[in-house]
Amino acid sequence: MRSLTNFAPSTFEERGAAVAFTTPVLAQTRVRKDSRDQLEVLVPNLSEGRGVYVVPWKSLPLAFPMTVHDRMLHDLIARADGCSPDNIRKAVLEAARCGLAGADAVTAAEAALRDDDEQRLLINYQLIVEALKAVGLESTDILRAGLGSDEGQRLTRDLMTRAAQRLSLEPTELYGRIAELAVLMEPIGLASSPRPARLRRLMRDLLGFRDSMTDWATDNVSEAAPIGVFCAEVAEHTVNHARNVMGQLDQAMAAFEMLLRQWETKRPQIRKAASRLSWLLDGWEYLILLWGDAVAQDRHTQDMAVHDIFRVIPLLPKDEGRNDQAMLADKLTTSQRRSVRAYVDWRSGQLDVDLVMRIETIKGKAA
Amino acid sequence: MNMKDLVALGDRLLDIDEAKFRQVVGLLEQMGDHPDIRQTISAIRPRLVELRPNRQPTLKRLFCNPFEDLFEALGRADPMPLNVIERSLMNGLWPLVEAQIGNERLGRYRAALQDGPERWALTHAFWADCATAVSAIADGEVPGLRMTPARMRALADIAIILSIAPEVAELKAALAPRPVPKLHADHIEAIEAIGRRVSRNRPAALKNFIILAASRLTDPSVLLGGLWDMDLGQKSTDRAALFMALSGTVVAQIEDRSRAFQSASGAGTDRMAVADLALHLVASLDATRAAMEHSRNKEFDQRLKEVRNSVHGMVRTQVLQDADSGIIAALGALEGGAEERAHLRRAENQARALRKCATFADSLGLRGELRAMTQKATASLTEKAQQALSGPAGNARTGYTAIRMIELIAGPAEANKIMDEIMGGSRR
Repeated sequence: MRSLTNFAPSTFEERGAAVAFTTPVLAQTRVRKDSRDQLEVLVPNLSEGRGVYVVPWKSLPLAFPMTVHDRMLHDLIARADGCSPDNIRKAVLEAARCGLAGADAVTAAEAALRDDDEQRLLINYQLIVEALKAVGLESTDILRAGLGSDEGQRLTRDLMTRAAQRLSLEPTELYGRIAELAVLMEPIGLASSPRPARLRRLMRDLLGFRDSMTDWATDNVSEAAPIGVFCAEVAEHTVNHARNVMGQLDQAMAAFEMLLRQWETKRPQIRKAASRLSWLLDGWEYLILLWGDAVAQDRHTQDMAVHDIFRVIPLLPKDEGRNDQAMLADKLTTSQRRSVRAYVDWRSGQLDVDLVMRIETIKGKAA
Repeated sequence: MNMKDLVALGDRLLDIDEAKFRQVVGLLEQMGDHPDIRQTISAIRPRLVELRPNRQPTLKRLFCNPFEDLFEALGRADPMPLNVIERSLMNGLWPLVEAQIGNERLGRYRAALQDGPERWALTHAFWADCATAVSAIADGEVPGLRMTPARMRALADIAIILSIAPEVAELKAALAPRPVPKLHADHIEAIEAIGRRVSRNRPAALKNFIILAASRLTDPSVLLGGLWDMDLGQKSTDRAALFMALSGTVVAQIEDRSRAFQSASGAGTDRMAVADLALHLVASLDATRAAMEHSRNKEFDQRLKEVRNSVHGMVRTQVLQDADSGIIAALGALEGGAEERAHLRRAENQARALRKCATFADSLGLRGELRAMTQKATASLTEKAQQALSGPAGNARTGYTAIRMIELIAGPAEANKIMDEIMGGSRR
C-alpha cells in the first residue's frame, strides 16, 4: 500500500476510470491496466486508512463481498475491449439495464442509451449540414424532404457528392470522415446544438457543483468545510481544463472546411481532445448527484457526503494540473481524521443494505 | 405580496427553493402575530426546523427557549421527548404570561433580544419573572385555556424549567448540536456539574433537568444507562428515586412508541417502517434493561416484558407474515407490465424489511420464524429465476429481478451462489 502523495498518478490512464459499483466500499473505485496489460482496481481509504490498495481485477470478488450487480459489471468489464471511461460506461449501462440494481437504474440506463441514439442521429445530421455549409451548399431542402425519407436521402447523397468534388475527395472518403467525427463528437456534441450532449451537460453540472459546494463551505464551522473547499477547488480546476479542451474542439468544428481538408493532421488532435475531455470529466457525474442529494438533507448527512466525495474525488493527474492536488489532498487527510466508519452495517458487520440502496437511488438518477 | 396571498400559499411553501423560503419567512415575521400567520408558520414548521432560518427574536420565543426541546417531534426520525409539551399551548399561554408580567416590565426586557452588556442579566431576570407568572397561572383559574391533566402537568413543568432556565441554557450549550447520538465523557461531566448546582438550589427541579438532558439525545434511554453512575450531589435514596422516576418515564415512552403500529392492519402497512420502529424499540429495550440491572424492579421488568411481547407480535404479523407472497406477486406484475415500478418498490421494501429483521430477531425470539420465511421466499425466488434465466422462453429481466430480491432478503453471498448455480459457472 502506498500513500496518496506517493501514489499521485501522472496520467489519466494511470489514474484509471471510475466504475459505478453499488458495493459501498467499491463505489467509484478506479480500474486501469497494469504493466502486463492486465486490469487492476484501485481501492482508496480502505477502513478509513491512508493510501490506496491495488487489487488485481480477477481477485476483486475474492477480496471484497460484492453485490450481484457488481459481479455482473465485473464480468462485463473483464470482457470489454479496454478500460477507458467510454468502455466502462458501456458496461455500466449494460449491467444496470438487466435490473440487478433496481427498477430506477433500468429506467435511467434505458434513457441514457436512448439519449445516446438521439445524439448520434443529431450529430450525424449536423455534421452533414456543416460539411455542406463549408463548401457553400444549402441543406434546407434535405430538412424539408425529411432526413429519413427516400427523397431526403437521395438529396443528401447528391449534395454530399458535390461537396466531396469541391473538397477534391472521394464521396466515400467524405462520408468516412464524417462518420468518424460523429463517433468522436457524439458525447460532446456541437456548440450550436439545440440539445447539449452528455459531456457538455456534465460540465455545466460540475460548475453548479462547484458553486453549491463553495456556498456550503463558506461560513461553515464543521470539520468537513475545508474538505468541501478542496472539493470545490478540484471541480474548478477540472472545469477550467475541460473548458479549454471544449474550446479547442469547438474551434476545430467551427473551421469545418479546414478540418476536412487537413484531416490527417487534425484527426489525431480531435481524437486526443475528445478522449481527454471524457477522462477529465470521468467520475464526476456520481459525485454531482451524490452532493445534489445531500444538499437537501441535514448537516450531518452533508458532512458525510463531503467525506465520501473526498474519498473518490477525481484529482487531476500531475501532468494535467499546475497544482499537485494529490499532495494537497494528503495534507488535508492528516488534519481530518475521523472515527472508524467502515462501509458495513455496524450491527452485523455485513454489507450495509441501506448504503447500497442510497447508491442505487443515485444510480437511478444518473442519465 | 399581501398577507392573504402569503397565507394562501400554505403547504406549497414546503416545496419552493431555499432562498425564496427564507425570504417568505422574513415577510411572515414582519406581519406580526396573527392567527393566520401562526397557522402558516405551523404548516411550514418542519422546514423551519430543517433550515433554521434566522428568525426575528421575540419575547415569546425567548420565553419558550428553555423548554423548547420538549415540544412534540415534527419528523418521524426526530427524537420524541419524554415529557411532551404541546406547541399549540404556547399561543394561549403567552398572552396570559404577558398579562401577568405587565407591559411596562415586558418593555424593559426587550433589550434582552439584542446583543448588549445587559443581555444575559435581563434574560435571566425575564425567565425568573416568567417562572413566577406561570406558577401563578397554574395555581389559579386559567381563563381562555381548555385545561386537561396533561396541560396542568405541562404548566407545572414549564414553571419549574423556567426557574432553572440559566442552567438549562448551559446544558443546551453542552449537549449541542441536538440530537446527540452518544454520551461522551465531556457531556457526562457537564450534566453532572450543572446537575449538582440544580440539585443544590432547586432539588425538585432535578427530574425536569434530567428529562431535558434526555430530550437532547437521539435515544433518551441512553441517558438512563449513564444516570446510575452520575454524581448529581444527591443522597443515595434520592438518586434511586430519581432513577426510578426517569425509568418510569422512559418505559412509558417505549410503551407509547410500541403502540404506533399496533392498530394498523398487516396488508396495508409499510413493512419497512414497522421494521425500523422495531429496530429502535429493541435498541431502547436493551438499553433500558441494561440500565435497570442496578435496580431490579419487578413492575418495570413486567412492563418491559409486555413491550417486548407486543413488538414480537408486531414484527410477526406485520413484517414476517406473508412476506414471500407479496414479493413473488411483484415478479408477476413485472411480466404483465402493470404498475411495474410501484409493485417492485413495494416488494423491495418487503424484502429489505425482512433482512432488517435479522438484526433483532434473536432479541425477540423470532430467529426460527425469520429463517423459515427467508428460506421459503428464497426457494420460490430461486425457482422463478431458474425458469426465467435458463428456460428458452424465459424473461431475463424477471430472472435478474428475482436474483435481486434474493440478494435483498438473504444477502449478496447467497444471491451470487444461486446466480452461479443457475448460470452453470459460466459467469467467470
